[in-house]
Amino acid sequence: MVGRSLREIVWARLRRDRVALICFAILVVMYLLAIVGPYLLNALGYDPYTFDRAAISNSGGQPVLPNGGIEFPKHPLGVEWGTGRDIMAQLLSGLRISLIVSTSATILTVLIGTVVGIVAGYAGGWTDQILGRLMDLVLAFPFLLIVLALSGVMTDRLTAMGVPEGNTSRVLYLILVMSLFGWPYLARIVRGQVLSLREREFVEAAVAMGAGTPRILFGEMLPNLWAPILVYTTLTLPSYIGLEAALSFLGVGVLPPDTTFGAMLANSVSYFQVVPLYLFIPGGMLVLLVVSFNLLGDSLRDALDPKAIH
Amino acid sequence: MVGLLFLLSLAVFFLFNLLPFDPARLTCGKVCTPQLLEQNRHRLGLDLPPWDQYLAFVRGIFFGRIYAPDQPFPIVCHAPCLGYSFLRHAEVTTLIARALPVTLWLTLGGFIVWITFGVVGGIVAALRRGRWQDRVLMTVALFGYSMPSFFIGLLLIFFVILQLQWLPFPSASAVQAGPFANPVKFFQTMILPWLVIAILNAAFYVRLTRNQVLETFGEDYVRTARAKGLPERTVVVKHALRAGLTPIVTAAGLDIAYLMGGAIITESIFSLPGMGSLSVNAVTNYDLPLITGVVLVAGIFIIAMNLIVDLLYGFLDPRVRIG
Amino acid sequence: MAGPSLRLRVVSLGATAALLVGACGQATTTTSPSAAAATASPSAATSATPSSAAPSASAAGTPQKGGTAYVLMTTATSNGDKFTDMDPQRIYIGEDIAFFSATIMRTLTQYKYSADLKEGTSLVADAATDTGTPNADGTSWSFTLKDGMKWQDGSPVKCEDFAYAASRPFSDVIVNGPTYIVNDLKIPTNADGTSQYPGPYKATPEQQALFDKAVTCDGNKITYNLSKPVPDFNYTVTLGLGAVPNPKDHPGVDTGEQYTTNPWSDGPYMIDSYTPGKGGSLTLVRNPNWTDDGYRGAYPDKWVVQLGLDPQVVDGRLMQPNGDDVYALEYGNVQTQNLSKVFSDAHTAAPAFAGRAFSDYDPYVRYWWINLDKVPNVKIRQAMAVAIDRDSIRAAAGGDFYGDFADGLIKPNIGQDYAPTGWATDLFGQPIPPGGNLDLAKQLIKDSGQAAPTLTFDYGKSPTGDQIAAIVQSSLQKVGFTIKLNPVDSGYYGYIGDPAKQHDFGASGWGPDWPNASTVIPPLLFGAGKTNNASDYSRVTAANSPEFVKAMEDAGTTLDRAQQAAKWQALNKQAAQQAFIIPNVFSLSQVIAGTKLGNLYKWPAYGSWPYAQIYVMQ
Repeated sequence: MVGRSLREIVWARLRRDRVALICFAILVVMYLLAIVGPYLLNALGYDPYTFDRAAISNSGGQPVLPNGGIEFPKHPLGVEWGTGRDIMAQLLSGLRISLIVSTSATILTVLIGTVVGIVAGYAGGWTDQILGRLMDLVLAFPFLLIVLALSGVMTDRLTAMGVPEGNTSRVLYLILVMSLFGWPYLARIVRGQVLSLREREFVEAAVAMGAGTPRILFGEMLPNLWAPILVYTTLTLPSYIGLEAALSFLGVGVLPPDTTFGAMLANSVSYFQVVPLYLFIPGGMLVLLVVSFNLLGDSLRDALDPKAIH
Repeated sequence: MVGLLFLLSLAVFFLFNLLPFDPARLTCGKVCTPQLLEQNRHRLGLDLPPWDQYLAFVRGIFFGRIYAPDQPFPIVCHAPCLGYSFLRHAEVTTLIARALPVTLWLTLGGFIVWITFGVVGGIVAALRRGRWQDRVLMTVALFGYSMPSFFIGLLLIFFVILQLQWLPFPSASAVQAGPFANPVKFFQTMILPWLVIAILNAAFYVRLTRNQVLETFGEDYVRTARAKGLPERTVVVKHALRAGLTPIVTAAGLDIAYLMGGAIITESIFSLPGMGSLSVNAVTNYDLPLITGVVLVAGIFIIAMNLIVDLLYGFLDPRVRIG
Repeated sequence: MAGPSLRLRVVSLGATAALLVGACGQATTTTSPSAAAATASPSAATSATPSSAAPSASAAGTPQKGGTAYVLMTTATSNGDKFTDMDPQRIYIGEDIAFFSATIMRTLTQYKYSADLKEGTSLVADAATDTGTPNADGTSWSFTLKDGMKWQDGSPVKCEDFAYAASRPFSDVIVNGPTYIVNDLKIPTNADGTSQYPGPYKATPEQQALFDKAVTCDGNKITYNLSKPVPDFNYTVTLGLGAVPNPKDHPGVDTGEQYTTNPWSDGPYMIDSYTPGKGGSLTLVRNPNWTDDGYRGAYPDKWVVQLGLDPQVVDGRLMQPNGDDVYALEYGNVQTQNLSKVFSDAHTAAPAFAGRAFSDYDPYVRYWWINLDKVPNVKIRQAMAVAIDRDSIRAAAGGDFYGDFADGLIKPNIGQDYAPTGWATDLFGQPIPPGGNLDLAKQLIKDSGQAAPTLTFDYGKSPTGDQIAAIVQSSLQKVGFTIKLNPVDSGYYGYIGDPAKQHDFGASGWGPDWPNASTVIPPLLFGAGKTNNASDYSRVTAANSPEFVKAMEDAGTTLDRAQQAAKWQALNKQAAQQAFIIPNVFSLSQVIAGTKLGNLYKWPAYGSWPYAQIYVMQ
């Protein structure tokens, strides 16, 4: 009962929020672009892997045309320095990888964090102690450094475990490592919620009625946790998008010829004095994506907050 | 605390030292025969079982360590010995001691900027809640919060250094020398890195402070203070902010701890010779002793800061103190 | 065989993401020094005429003593953010040899300072009174030391110090550095080919006696007794044999592994301070015990090398120099995006940079090796060679600034050992245009009697490296190969030198150690069987190419230089034809300096700045 009415309130609030709606629309478009965009572009003759030797100069490798070789309709966002590959096509394939990594990592993080949080909060005692220490330990690791240091080795190990080599194992590594170091934040929130829920009447009633532990944990408690989990999810996703970009900026990313926002930005550094668009195109796309998620997450949080003042 | 440190050292040591890099091979050089490789392993102490290697490592921290005393020119690593970088011909502690001040200045300057803007901005937003000041501040904060740090850094370099030429190129040696050797160059180099760190964090603190202040405004004791007719400034600073400070301190403590371990991206972009650059360099060169040492020190900062924050927590929050 | 060290940095033109130092995993490897030799004969393969960058405008005028000269070393060099080595026995990077031999290290012979290709690679005496005297069959070489040479503490430099230097490469304490001396000296070897002499630190008196017989001192005269005729041994002593204070006269000075951070000087400068790493520096001040040697100008009072600088930043600082940067020069390369501003074409500086920016041939050849054990079918290898789109690859790496299309492992500027192989015209029966000959490649695959295999390409990770790899992949896949890419984050040459890790084919580069293809063909195409980490990435062995190996051994011991040259030329052609390697480019490199330095040019001996001749204009 409580859940349903809250949902209605939230939905009504969100519908009134124009910013949230715009962001939602942008994100839907982004996901659509990531899913069908590359096929669409391919049909139209844009391909991120095709070298356009004619578009770049023989002396220095810079795009022949100004502004990074912008040319309608052949290269609407210009071409890459040195190879003549189409920037727009690269951008879309980067978007796809970025969303695959960040979305999967978020889902995995939320799964682990929720389960561990519920277990720690409900079981208490030794279980809680041990899980709490584990969270402290994971949080004490300098995350970025570990990701950099382990990338080569862990990718090889994934390949050895039967994951197809190349980008499949590299993307999987990114997803796994983000989730494995990201879950404690949510686990702590969920644990706190569970601690307070445990004392509530409906849980005590369920216990009294002889419901089994799994039923109490996931049948009674989980439905009451969805609000904080949802807010956390919408805020984690954009931070993972930024993280993936930062990692590929530092050189831990997909294999060529594939590319990502971070890799495009890392490359731009060598040329942006001459072609500033190399910096602004992928950077702008990245910021648009992250801002949309954050604004939506913000609105969602406000809408979910019963105390919110509007 | 000690237990966590022990766990951390164990995890870090085994995580990195059981990796299939062969440091003996890296320092083996030219005609690397299996015998030479074996000799080299012995010299680096890699011929011991992993557990003994760990013990030698821990013993080194307290009593120092001598690598392969039976070989010509044994390498002495003084206590507290975190290892010896054979690639850089230096003790890990020496390298960290050189990098740490840079990171300290980076963190300190960035912290001052972000906490000032963050807290002041947050209070202003809270006091002007719903008005344009609030909306502008919150929008700016959201954008700041959404910008990846490396993108902010690149934008600053592009506009401030390359296009407008307001600042010269960053000078790592001026930073290494500290703020007193050549203050002008030091500040010229540090101002952009500080900004990057500040923009990133201030955004979060504006939101946090605003929410805290708004929340405490609703609390009874603040309402009482207001009802007593205390001036608004006193109410805000002495009562509302004081109580709302706790989560800000907690967050700031942890953020500082993470930065002290090395602001990897900011340091990379601006070529600052701090902990972040040191560790990235160690990673790309597979310099295992250095990686182990840097990660351990970074972890110690985080654990120590957690402890300090816990202590401050009781000191700051009137409710906790009374309770 | 020379060890794993003679290598070309893979990072050059804009290969590192700048302002992002150290992060993208540059392959920090050792670069080969090189002395490229006389008579460049421009060939079909090298269309452009080499311009000898004549010192002009700023170089005119009389050299002045005094001032401080600055070297801005970028992280895109093989050194990264430090000097890999300063130990005379370990230095093995061309630019480093040039710098340290100009400042703190004397060798028996060295090359003449001149911008001219022929003069600049001609041998002159340095610590010796002449360029050495061989015995009749070339198995023994003697040099007489100049009088009055002193160490930085004022004590005399003795023959024993040079002899001691020759003993150190035998030790496993001295890693890195050239190993020619280990192979050349007349010291018995064990059954496995290693020397019976373990170096000065661990030798028993009996073992030390073996060495003392091979290298003898008679007053000021040092004699090297060799195990075989080495007609060019007086070139060998330019490399890695600078004197080190011998422990009898100077106990405690040689600190073994540590000596590389604090070597003693017998040159015009000495080390004042050295802090490696980003933001660090090396400062050299005048050596009070130095007396003019008539070889080095040694004009500035002080040299300051700033370490760990970002390549884009260095370019920016030197293109419009302010303050002390007018006295600075770049140790590194001008980045791709600045090439069109600094140069008007691939061989000429733009007018605004005349006399202080240089684009010229360096000693290096860039090529791809193919592992013969993994790709034994010659037709398949030939198909790879003719299918690769070298035109796009060159464009990605900077176009004509990157270099001219190569036709083998031997570069024309080595002199008599080079002859065109006809790679692009008739070596494979059909012309191979720069973009590749796909029809021929498909035909070769058909003729090979097997399907085009799946192959893995090794390369050092960098943005440009990634682009080149993608082109290699796509051009080979057009004819039916399946190519997997394997970027190596760091320590690329160590990685491919390890047979357990190396894959099917990959990128590499090389410069000769002195003007003889004996420092190109044998190190690159033989030796994998002998030492674990050799530079022979193609893994040519007596098992897979017996005739080639035999011909190579024959050429190496041929005493008549003209006959030897003809043999090297034939071997070079054969290696290209058999596709042991795929030639890429004979490379160019670009450097820039500030406005107030005189005597700037590229010294062909090491493809470096002529440090000993540069002066500060006041």
